[in-house]
Parts: sequence; C-alpha cells; structure tokens
Amino acid sequence: MMIILAEFFVVILKVLWAFVAAGAKWVVKPKEKSVAGQVCVITGAGSGLGRLFAKEFARRRAILVLWDINSQSNEETAEMVRQIYHELDSPVPKDGPVGGVEEVPPFQPQVYTYVCDVGKRESVYSTAEKVRRDVGEVDILINNAGVVSGHHLLECPDELIERTMVVNCHAHFWTTKAFLPKMLELNHGHIVTVASSLGLFSTAGVEDYCASKFGAIGFHESLSHELKASEKDGINMTLVCPYLMDTGMFKGCRIRKEIEPFLPPLKPEFCVKQSMRAILTDQPMVCTPRIIYMVNFMKSILPFEAIVCMYRFLGADKCMYPFLAQRKEAMNNNEAKNGI
Amino acid sequence: MLFILDLLLMLIHLTASILSAVINTVIRPRLKCIEGELCLITGAGGVLGRLFALEFAKEGAHLVLWDCNTAANEQTAALARELGVQVHVYTVDLSQRHSIYHTADRVRQEAGQVSILVNNAGVVAGRRLLECPDELLERTLLVNCHALFWMTKAFLPQMKSSNHGHIITVASALGLFSTACVEDYCASKFGAVGFHESLTHELHAENLNGIKTTLVCPYIVDTGMFEGCEIRQELRSLIPPLEPLYTVQQSMQAILSEQQMICIPRLMYIPFLTRALLPWEANVATYRFMGGDKCMMPFIKNTEQKIANGDVNHK
Repeated sequence: MMIILAEFFVVILKVLWAFVAAGAKWVVKPKEKSVAGQVCVITGAGSGLGRLFAKEFARRRAILVLWDINSQSNEETAEMVRQIYHELDSPVPKDGPVGGVEEVPPFQPQVYTYVCDVGKRESVYSTAEKVRRDVGEVDILINNAGVVSGHHLLECPDELIERTMVVNCHAHFWTTKAFLPKMLELNHGHIVTVASSLGLFSTAGVEDYCASKFGAIGFHESLSHELKASEKDGINMTLVCPYLMDTGMFKGCRIRKEIEPFLPPLKPEFCVKQSMRAILTDQPMVCTPRIIYMVNFMKSILPFEAIVCMYRFLGADKCMYPFLAQRKEAMNNNEAKNGI
Repeated sequence: MLFILDLLLMLIHLTASILSAVINTVIRPRLKCIEGELCLITGAGGVLGRLFALEFAKEGAHLVLWDCNTAANEQTAALARELGVQVHVYTVDLSQRHSIYHTADRVRQEAGQVSILVNNAGVVAGRRLLECPDELLERTLLVNCHALFWMTKAFLPQMKSSNHGHIITVASALGLFSTACVEDYCASKFGAVGFHESLTHELHAENLNGIKTTLVCPYIVDTGMFEGCEIRQELRSLIPPLEPLYTVQQSMQAILSEQQMICIPRLMYIPFLTRALLPWEANVATYRFMGGDKCMMPFIKNTEQKIANGDVNHK
C-alpha cells in the first residue's frame, strides 16, 4: 500500500516536471540533433509537405530517399535536393594539412528516388528492399503521403474511400514493418507520422480523411507506447498534426470570414519548420499552430452539443463544403475520373 | 454587429449544453420507445452482440442479425425469438464490402427499412506488430473501420429520406487512447471514432435532426476477446474488466436517451482527457504507474500460446 502511494507521488512529480520541461522548451530552444549522413525516407515526396521536408533534410546533409507515386514530381523534388547539396558543398576550400591541397568535403550526401504506391503493401516491401540494397539501412522514416477523396460520403466512389484509408493509414503499418526491425536491432531511428489536426478532431464532409488520420494517430501512439515499454530509447517517434495548409489539397475550405484572419490556412513552410524543430529535438508531438493543442483539449472535455454550437459559430461545421463543391465542379468540367 | 450577436448566442447555447450534460449525469433522462423499429446488429453471434440483440428485443424492436459465424448467430436469433420479436438472420463477411451491400439489399427486400444500426462487430489480431501476418492486420482495419463506411452507405440513404434513424458505433476506450502491442486495434478503433464524429458533424450540418448517433466506448469487456490483458495488480479491483451485461445495459441507457457518447465506466473519460491535456512524457509516466503500458503483453502471450497449441480459430 505504501509502495503504491509513494509511486503515485512520484507520478505526480513526473507529470508536473513534464509540464515544466515542455514550458521550458518554449522559452529556451533545445539543441537540434544532427542528421548529416543519415538515411531519411520520405513518402509523398513529390509535392506539398513531402517536398519541403526533403529540402529541409537536404539542408542538414541527410541522405534522401524519396518515394512518390508520381515519378515526375518526385524527380523534380530530387533536382531541388541536388541543388541544395551542391550549394552546401560550394563554399571556399579550407586549408588542408598539406598546404595548397583542397580539402575534400567530409561527406557527399545523395538523393535516391523510387516510384512507390504506399497503398499497396507489395509495393512498399519491394521498394524497401531496393532501398536497403541501393542505399543501406534507414535511420529516419517520414510517413507523409496523404490523400483525400474530396466527395461527400454518400456520393463517394468506394474505391476513393478505400484509397484514402490505405494510403493515409494502412501504409504506415507496411513502412513500419519494413524499416522498424533494423531500427530495433541497432536501437537507433526516428519515425515521423504526418497526420493532421483532422486526426484529433473532425468536421463534416471528410469522413474518409478523418477516419484515416485518426487511425494513423492511433497506430502512432500505440507504437510509441510499445517502444517506450520495450525501453528502446534510441528510437524516437514524432507525431505532426498541422491545421489546414495552403498546399491545394483542401483548396476551397473556408471558415467564417470574421474568424479567418485569426486562423488562416497555414503556410506549409511554417509548418515544416516547426515540424523540423520538433523532429530534431526528439519532441513526441507537434501541433501547428499551437492553438490546436487547446482545440484538442476543449474537444475532449466539452459535451458534443457544445462543440457543435461552437463549430456553427466558427463556420467550422461546413468549412469543407466549398472544397467539396469545387472538386465536384472540377470533376464535371474536366470529366476527370478521380481526384488527385 | 451580427457577429457579436452570434457570439453571444453561441456562448449562451454553449453554457446551456454544458449545464444540460451535467444535469443528465445526475438525473435519469427519458428513454425513447423503439417498439416496432427494425434494428440491425453486426457481430450478433458474439457476447456483446447477443446481449444487444436481447436488450433491443426486450424493447420491442424487430431484429436483423449479422455475423460471420452462422451457428452463433442462429443461437442469438433463437433466444431473441423467445422474446416475441421478428428476427432475420444473415451470414455476412464484414471485411468484404460486396458481402455487405448484397446482404443489405436482401435485408431491404425481406425485412424492411432498418432504422437502428448497431455497428458492433470487432476483431483484433492479437499478435505483436512485427510478427503479425499482414492479412490479420488488414482484417482488423477492414472489419472494425472500413465496414462502417459500407454499412453507412448501405443504410443511411433511407434514414435520410425519412429523416429518422439511429446509428450506434461500438468503438472502444482504445479508440480514445492507446496502449502497446495492439496497433491494429487502436488504429481501427481510432478510425471508427474519427468516422463516427465526422458523420455526426455532417448530420448536424445538414440539419438531419431525426437521425441520431451514439458512440459507445467501453473499457476492456470480459468477453474473452482480450483474455489475459491486465493492469497493475493493486488497481485491478478498482478497474476490473467490465461485465458484458453491465456494458450493454449502460449502452442501452445511452442509446435510448439519445446520448451522443458514452464511456464505460465513466472513469475512462480521465485517460481520454489526460491524453489531450498532458505532455506525452507525463502520459507515459501515468501509464507506467497504472500498468497500462504493458497490460496487453499477457494477452499477446496468451494468443501466441494458443496458436502454438494449434488452436487456429480466433475471432
């Protein structure tokens, strides 16, 4: 009995300490770890956040392995990455130990591209095999690829619903199964799940996206608990939950116009910079902007009716409707079969 | 100015709903009558499904029972028929959407219009992620999460046209917070919660106030599904695995009083809140204290043992 009370007391202290530590991080930036020379796999690297992540990791001299279903955009990202590598290696040659000899840069990072449909597990496994063969063991895994059907549930073709689920959620299982074993063996690695604030709370019209992002978070947290319990402290996990971003993925989504200046769609560059800071300081979770933490808490504590009336006031209940309408119109105009 | 007025109205409404929720925890709300309604229950051959069937039968609802296990489903049907209601029985594989759509058509022809949908069926792989066959991982996601999409697509249109219905999602406390070793289950149950909430928002946005939804999030229920799961010894008597009947009766209370969500026991709201409130490290510390971090490991060992002994039949 005494033991459990003592432990309870210790837990309370740990909880308070965690708040203090989190608060301190707001004030004093912790030191960012180096990822130079580490192998970093990014899914969905062809566009949006994936491309920006690639560039950020390139600036930090990581070896990049870019996965995307779209070969052309993937290659474009790779070209940008090569440009960054080139700029990094251009500076003035240092004085070598033997006078006049140009010092060879200590390390030449490279970028590798692969076409992969992360929704298909065979594609994930075979591409992972190629990566191991061509590049080596993977240190950092960024599960970033994401899609949305862009249709109201009852009008949405089943294939699109399934696709959202397999790309946004199932894929994380396959990539983790592909790369985690070696990370466990070496007790070294970092898995980043790029979810969404729509994985913490939901809205109307995007049932497939919410289900898949909630699922990705459930997977991430369960895995994090497992790694903590197994005491493999060399493997870190970071959950990234951005609010709506200006990448075009949810183009048209709009909240109430009076509120919009306070909560505009995020600049992707801002989101990636915040995420990089979190990843490189081994932070378990990052929401951008920070107000999302509050929204998440309020959503958990308030009765549903209260949430609904707040949503109505903010225009959040129907914020996706213009986006869905735009998609429908685009589809009708172009006679395109599927969304992106 | 309209904005200020709107803001004031919203704050009043907000306060009213909070007060209403508080009052409802104290005063027993009125329970609605569902006599004569047609209620479809998935996983009706299982422990919870069977109890749901009997409870709905007691309330006078006619039943449509779905399960992949024909024998267990027929047993449930027999028990329900004793209570004097009509029962239709179908064998369905919820991991196949064609099976769902095909059977839904048959239900419409043979039984009529479903007004109450209880998405209860659930499975878990019960293996550590890296040792789990991919098919089992996929099955958990398909049955616990994808099936909800197909069921809703099959039955919501008719509910919409009559602006009358009730969709119940039996998720889990492990859809609100997670633990180690059940990644597939947590992913699928979180997904179920996300789907349910998004759907509910859509029904509200479209002012379909005749269609209700209820999210049921029970802690571990003593059905054998998670046999072996255990938290810290000193706390086991405080938070034991739930009695199935108690779980279903509490759920029925929530459903018949048209409550949006219920956590069973109410204590489960605490980890749900702390997940949103506390920094990750703090959450981990509380889990370790409760024994929640490793609670599934005996369950996993149990399952591995059963498989080693040749008992392949797992739900």
